Amino acid sequence: MKVSKNELTASLKKAFEALGFQPGDYYDAADMVVWLETHGFYGFDRLLAVLAYLNTTAPVHAELVQEDVHNFVLDGKGTSVLLCGSEAVDLIRAQVMKGACAGLELTNCYNRTFIIQRLIKAAQRNLAFVAYWRQLDCCVKVSVKPGAVLPEYQTFTMLDVIDPQSLIIFCGKSIEAIEEQYAAELEFGTLVDTFSTQEMTDSYRNSVEEGIEIDESLWETLDKLVARVLVESTDSSRAGAGE
Amino acid sequence: MHIPSSLDQADSGVNRLPMRPAGQVMQLERLGSFHQSRLSFMRTLVRRMVVENWQINSPVFDLDEHGYGTVVYQIEAKYGTFSYVVFSHYLDPERRNDRVIADQWDLTMALCEGTVDTKQLEFLRNNVPKQEAGRVDSRVLVLSRANRSARLFDYVVNELADGCQPDVDAIADVGYLYRTTAAYGSGKLGMADWEKVWTKHRDFARPFAAEMFTCFMLRHFSMQQADYLASQRSPTKAVALHEDIKRYIGIGNSTGLGMAPFLINHPLLINQWIEMRETALATAVATSEIGVDLETLLRLDTSVERVIQHLNEIVTADERQSKANIQVAKELQLLHVWLQEESTALAISHYVWASLTQYAEQHWLIETQEVINTLLIELYPELVDGLEDHMWVEESYQITPEMSVAELLEVVEEKYDWALAIDFTQYESMGAFWYRSDEKMEPRLGQTNIDMGMEKEMPLGIGRRVRECYDLIYSYNQSYPDQDVAHFVVRNPTYSGIVARIQTMAESHYGDIRENLVHSDVLPIHLLRCKLSFFGVSKFDPRSRLWVRNTMFQGAPLISDFGKLFFDDWQFPIKPTLTSG
Repeated sequence: MKVSKNELTASLKKAFEALGFQPGDYYDAADMVVWLETHGFYGFDRLLAVLAYLNTTAPVHAELVQEDVHNFVLDGKGTSVLLCGSEAVDLIRAQVMKGACAGLELTNCYNRTFIIQRLIKAAQRNLAFVAYWRQLDCCVKVSVKPGAVLPEYQTFTMLDVIDPQSLIIFCGKSIEAIEEQYAAELEFGTLVDTFSTQEMTDSYRNSVEEGIEIDESLWETLDKLVARVLVESTDSSRAGAGE
Repeated sequence: MHIPSSLDQADSGVNRLPMRPAGQVMQLERLGSFHQSRLSFMRTLVRRMVVENWQINSPVFDLDEHGYGTVVYQIEAKYGTFSYVVFSHYLDPERRNDRVIADQWDLTMALCEGTVDTKQLEFLRNNVPKQEAGRVDSRVLVLSRANRSARLFDYVVNELADGCQPDVDAIADVGYLYRTTAAYGSGKLGMADWEKVWTKHRDFARPFAAEMFTCFMLRHFSMQQADYLASQRSPTKAVALHEDIKRYIGIGNSTGLGMAPFLINHPLLINQWIEMRETALATAVATSEIGVDLETLLRLDTSVERVIQHLNEIVTADERQSKANIQVAKELQLLHVWLQEESTALAISHYVWASLTQYAEQHWLIETQEVINTLLIELYPELVDGLEDHMWVEESYQITPEMSVAELLEVVEEKYDWALAIDFTQYESMGAFWYRSDEKMEPRLGQTNIDMGMEKEMPLGIGRRVRECYDLIYSYNQSYPDQDVAHFVVRNPTYSGIVARIQTMAESHYGDIRENLVHSDVLPIHLLRCKLSFFGVSKFDPRSRLWVRNTMFQGAPLISDFGKLFFDDWQFPIKPTLTSG
């Protein structure tokens, strides 16, 4: 079946609300899923992968465990980027707004691809981002120029072993400034794959024009979650609001 | 999209418009006293259709002798072709219900892009009548339904079949042949996203333009169906409805709590609508700084007379609204007499509108003030109509993480002083809560500690959330005086949403609606009326504090008027005096 972007976003917000997310968190989480799905990053598959965890665990947020002038470490405590991605990006961009480039490591977190939407949104405030994380035996690198609405998405072989559940984010006024300041940290092996911006654009245009294809079982799952935020209707509650 | 307003200009100190302050405009009672204006979506749509001479015909008109069946209208607008599909069904009068929770209607309709072929028509026939229980696709822009006026429809058809025109007073009592009970767009139920409408269909690339057009076409169908049924019943004797009566027939509308959360959940959009309306008003007032000429004063007087008649013709059982209508009419009568007596002298003495608005604020009801404001905007179409292109804004709420916590405290104290002034230790201040019912997710208002569902409360109590956030920030600032908002949010992640709202809305001109929406005595009807005024409805008839009946497009031109000389003056409709024809 097909759903519209607005319809999907509304359903996801209520579903995340049912899972205990607070306002703000459920707006951001819904936006992350929709962005990934509409741009060809398999947002639904990634959502399915995390739903079981979210359904059995009260929302967990990351904890700031270390910081200096330019660098932060956040402990994700096993949670999803859906819940801690926004805080990580806000923390690092606050630092850059006050001065030079900054770096952040978000450890012990899952669903790291969702961070792309947060980086794109933050980039609209004239900031650049480079993020990377380990995916199986490779490393995913995402670069977002200031004001860009699409990222550069590349997969490389690893030169050094990267922690399998960490996400590294650098922020600065330009990609060049980040690459200059963090040159040592941004060395990767051979380019394995890219996901072109044209493919992302085509995917998005098709989503808007034709709607978004969603598996009926996932839609039913979301409907069941949404039902949790609804209150049983009674004659009393029905009264007075129309005829 | 955002255009500079007087408040932006204030920084440069040039051409500052006399904008009203947020503390005055954003009071809920005032918002609930708004009337339609030239910027209302129905007015904008009608101007566009008439001037661009949209061509509308009905390639399929397949109704039986009872008026049941299918009609497809084809619309050739300026930039594209659209189809409006109507399914007319038998409805047991016992099942006629205007609530969102209804599941059957007299009419169901869909506005589609392009032309509709046999296959698509069959798809629509299988889904549109089910409304929320069906699914459509991205070729559909709007889905809607309507119920017949039990009082008026049969009467009008009988009169026409007898060769007579219906009594205008009978029309005035009701105002419509059908009531629409919902018009869904923006991607609901599989329809086209607003983004698609906005980027692909320029004819409807303004807020609620497609939804308003759906109601306009319903009005056209309702009168065409009445004419058709009369001619079926008495082929030789029947007459067609007089065109002056047709213009006076609108579409009924019942609006309940379903509309209320929209205003709270889209504060940037509401801010934009209000800012444009206030810019229009400020433009009108500023234009008069060199004095108002006699012709303009007399035009205002003509409009005032019309509004007085309009108010006197409104039928409402609501005591508060009825008293208000009487009082507003009385106060406008004073204005009318004054204009009659003083206009010539006022023109000579370079009278300015600021004197009138100031007098109204000091002596008259808020409702009267807002009628006058609407009429002032009407006087300067060439200066204000361009604002209609700026009624939409892309909504994005984002934290400004580098802001210091101390600065955030100041922002709350300055922009949300109204929220901090509420005493939330009083039971009444948190005596109500909003929730979604399991009947089609209909929003409802419950009483705290009395009704069930408090644990599933919708976060519409913005004032209370701001207060809680402020208290926490205050405490945090004591412990970490040099820290920024990013650190505050990392340590208090459940407040990220309200912090983003505070910081985003603080940058807007008018900000949030200044009302405690979880107070025991909250009047949601003000929220409904505010939004409906931007739609462009008239004749507000509150049925309780939770829902309101009103009339859409009453007085508007007909399709047969498209392309003809057009005076955009159909607001505040009054009973027609029939001319021949």
